[in-house]
Amino acid sequence: MTDARILVVGAGLAGLAAAAALARAGHRVLVVDQALRPGGAVHRQPLPGGRSLASSAQARRWRALMAEVDAQGARIEIVCNTRFGGVDHTGTVLLTGEGAALINPRALVLAVGAREAVQPRPGWTLPGVTTAGALQTQIKTTAEAPAGRVLLAGSGPLLLALGAELVRLGRPPLAIVEAGRPFSRPLRSLGLPLSYMAEAARHLSRLLAARVPLLTGAHLTRISEADGALMAEVETRSGARRFAADRIGLHDGIRTNDTGLTDCAALPVLRLGDCREALGANAALADGRAGGEALAARLAGQPAPTASTTLAREASAQARLAQIYAHDGATRLAGLPDDTVICRCEMRTLADLRTLGPAPTTRQLRLDGRFGMGACQGRFCAEWVARIASPIAPHALGMPRWPARPISVADLLAAPDLTLGETK
Amino acid sequence: MNGTLLWNGTALPFRAGETVASALTRAGVRHFGTTPQGQARALFCGIGQCQNCLVHDGTGLTEACLLPCRDGMALTDAGARHD
Amino acid sequence: MLIAGAGIVGASIAWHLAEAGLRVAVADATGPAAAASGASDGAVSVASKKPGVMARLATGSLLYTRALAERGLLAAAYAARPSYVFGAGEAEMDAIAALIAKLAALSGPVRVTADGGAGLLAGAGPGVERLVALEGEGHMPGHKAVRAYLAHPGITALWPARLGAFEADDTGVTIDLGGRALRVGVLVAALGVSTAEIFPGLPVLPRAGQLIVTDAGPVGALPGSLTAAAYLLAKTEGPGSGTLPPVVIDPLSTGQFLIGSSREDHADPTRVDFATIRRLLGRSTAAFPALAERRVIRAFAGIRAAVADGLPIVGPLPGNSRVILATGFEGDGICLSALIGREVAAMVRGASPATDWAADLSALAPTRFGAIRKERVA
Repeated sequence: MTDARILVVGAGLAGLAAAAALARAGHRVLVVDQALRPGGAVHRQPLPGGRSLASSAQARRWRALMAEVDAQGARIEIVCNTRFGGVDHTGTVLLTGEGAALINPRALVLAVGAREAVQPRPGWTLPGVTTAGALQTQIKTTAEAPAGRVLLAGSGPLLLALGAELVRLGRPPLAIVEAGRPFSRPLRSLGLPLSYMAEAARHLSRLLAARVPLLTGAHLTRISEADGALMAEVETRSGARRFAADRIGLHDGIRTNDTGLTDCAALPVLRLGDCREALGANAALADGRAGGEALAARLAGQPAPTASTTLAREASAQARLAQIYAHDGATRLAGLPDDTVICRCEMRTLADLRTLGPAPTTRQLRLDGRFGMGACQGRFCAEWVARIASPIAPHALGMPRWPARPISVADLLAAPDLTLGETK
Repeated sequence: MNGTLLWNGTALPFRAGETVASALTRAGVRHFGTTPQGQARALFCGIGQCQNCLVHDGTGLTEACLLPCRDGMALTDAGARHD
Repeated sequence: MLIAGAGIVGASIAWHLAEAGLRVAVADATGPAAAASGASDGAVSVASKKPGVMARLATGSLLYTRALAERGLLAAAYAARPSYVFGAGEAEMDAIAALIAKLAALSGPVRVTADGGAGLLAGAGPGVERLVALEGEGHMPGHKAVRAYLAHPGITALWPARLGAFEADDTGVTIDLGGRALRVGVLVAALGVSTAEIFPGLPVLPRAGQLIVTDAGPVGALPGSLTAAAYLLAKTEGPGSGTLPPVVIDPLSTGQFLIGSSREDHADPTRVDFATIRRLLGRSTAAFPALAERRVIRAFAGIRAAVADGLPIVGPLPGNSRVILATGFEGDGICLSALIGREVAAMVRGASPATDWAADLSALAPTRFGAIRKERVA
C-alpha cells in the first residue's frame, strides 16, 4: 500500500504554505517538523502560555498562514518532534521521533529552512559560544534574555536584530562586532525595500539608545576561557579590544540547509523556501505557496502556474544586502593559527589540513584528512575546508548521502514499516 | 506541565514544552560532556545540525536541543561514560 | 612504466617497481583510493576467502603484509587483531565447520583460538549461537595502505587523468591519458570497477555493498571484526546463497563501527535502501547489542569489481605482454595487494613468478577468457 499522502518536511513558512496549497488542490498532506511546535526558525513559537516577542506584522503573517492551514481541516496533519531521516532510492522515507515510520509518500516537499554559516576562529568550540541563531531560538521560546554578558560577532543583519531584541529584554549585548561596514555608504541601502529599511532603523535606534557599541570592520579573532568567563579578542579599525563575556553568539551569514538531502527518481522531490535558496521569510512564504501549487499542477498533469514576482524582488534585496555587508572575512581563513579547529566534530585543525599538501583531492580531504567525516556531516566545516584547500576553485567536499542526519540504530530499527505489502 | 529532570543526578526545573538544551542552559549548565575526540559537548547551533549538544537519555545519545523535557527524565553527561 | 589505477593493487605494484629502481607513474581518473580501496572495511582476512587458490594466495599475502608492516612500510596502515566469526542455524553451522577445516588445511598463519558460544566474546548477544575466535588476521584501511605505498619517492602521481585508448607494439605502449599521448614500456591496468570501460571484453562487473558508518564511541568496545558466517557463504557461494543477512561488524581505530554489507549488481555509490540497512543493522545488533546505542552517521555503497567466475584477473593481456592486468578482486584487494604487487612487479620486469605461487597465479591469468577485445585508439 502506498501512503497516498504528500510528505512535507518542515512546518515553517515554506512548508505550511506548500501544505495549504496542496490541500486546496485536494491532496492529503502530512507535515512533520523536528521542533516541538510549528513555526520554523522565523516564527518559532513561545512555550505554551508564554509571551510572544513577535512584532505585530510577524504575528499577523503567522496567524494568516495558520488560518489557511486550519481551513483545510483533516487534509493537513502536522506531527512535531519528528525527524526526517532521508529518502532512499526506492522512494521510502524514514521518519524518527514521535511520528516514527517508514512510509512511501506520493511526493516529498523539503522545506527545512536555512542554516547559519560560522567561520572558524580559535576558541569557537568552547561551551558558551553558540550560533547567534541558537541565542535567538532561546529568546523566542522563553521570552527571556540569556543570563550573563552577551557578545555578538560575525556579519549580517541578524546580529542587529538579535542585539535589538536583547536591548528590548533589558539585557543589551556588550557589543556587536560586525566584519562588514554596512553604514559606511548609506546610499547603497536606497535600493532596499522600505520594510527592510524600517526594520533596520528600528533595530539601530534601539541599539543606539542603549549605547551598544557597533564595531564595524571589526573581527573577533580569538576566544579563550579565563576565570569562568569567555575572553574575546577583537580587532577593530582603531585597535584591539577585549571583552569578558558569558555567552558569545557567532553568525557569518545564512546558507541553504541542503546537506544530505538526496534526490530520488522514484517520486517527485521538491525543495522550497530557504533550503532551496536562502532568501528570507517573505520569499519562503511565496516559494512555499508557489511550489505547492506547481506540485499540485504537476501531479494533475497540468501546466505549471506562472512564477511569483516576490522571489525575484527578495532575491535582489538579498543581493543588495550582501553588497552592503561585503567584507574580506573569508580571506582571513588562511591567516588563522595552525591549531585552529576547523572540523568541530573530530577536532581536526588547520595544521591537519595543511599536511595534506597543496591541492588535496576530495577523497584525500575525507579519507586522509578526515574532514567532513564527522557527525555533522560537514555542515560546519565543508565550506571552509574547501576554501582553504583550494582557494581559487573550492570544490564540494562530498556527495549528498543519507541519512540526512545521524540516526540512532535503535530508532532506525524501531520505526514501524508502513510500506509493507508494497512490491519493490 | 512544568516539571523536573535529573541532570547527572541533580534535579533541575523545566517549563512545559521546553527542550533539554533550553532547560540546562537556563540552569547555568553549559558543558554537556566530552566527545571521544576530546571536544567539549555544548549547545552550538540549537537546531539539530551540529551534533555538539548530545546528551545520554538512558537509551543512547541524542540532541539536547531537540529533546523535549519530560518529568522525571534522567539525563547524563555524554562524556562521563567514556572517561 | 605506467600504472593505471591508484587503488591498493595499483599502488602496491607501483611501490614494488619503484623499489626495484624503475621509474613509475601512477595515473588515476580521480585520485588515490577513490573507489573500492577507499570504501573497504580493511579486513586482511584469510577466513573469508574461497578455499583453494584464493585462500592460499591470501595466506601468502597476509604473511607478506605482516613483513611489510614490520619493515615499517605498512606500519601505520596494518594492525594485527583478532577476528570472530559467528553463526546461527544449520547453513551457518556448516559454513563455520568448513571454515575450521579450511584453516586447518592451510596450516597457515590464521588459527582458531576458541570455538564455543556467545560467552567467548564480551558483549556478544543472543544472535550468536556459535562463535569462533581467530588469531593471525589483521586490519588495514585501504586508503592508509595506498598512501604508504605511493609515498615512495620513485613514484610520479598523475591525477586526475583518465586512461583512454592505448596501442601496444613490440617496444612499448602508446597511451591516451586524459587527451595527452604518452609512451611507456609497460602498461599495468589495475582499474578495478573501471576495467570494463577499457576492456569491454572482460567480464568485470560492479558489485555494490551497502555500508554503514556509526559515530565514534569508546575505542576497543569490540577487539576485532565480527563476521556472520553468512558473509563467508555469500563470498564463497555467491550472493543470495544464504537467507540470513551477511553482516560484518568492523571496529575502526576512530572508535566508529563500519557495518556491511550486501552484494548487489550496480555501480551507484549513493544507492542504499532502508530495507537492506535495517536487515544488516538488525542482525548486527542481535550479535552485538551495544550497537543499538550508536548513531548512523553515513551510509553508502562501496563498489567492488567482481569477475563472473569469482576470481581476480592477473597477468598479461593475451598476445600483448606489454599490457598487464591486475583487477577484479571484489574487495579482496586489501588482503591480496601485497603479494599481487610483488608478483606483478616481477612480471613487468620479465622475471618468472616465485615458484610457490606460479600455479595459483596462472589460475588468475586473463587467458582463461580467450582473446580479449579492447578499445582501440581513435
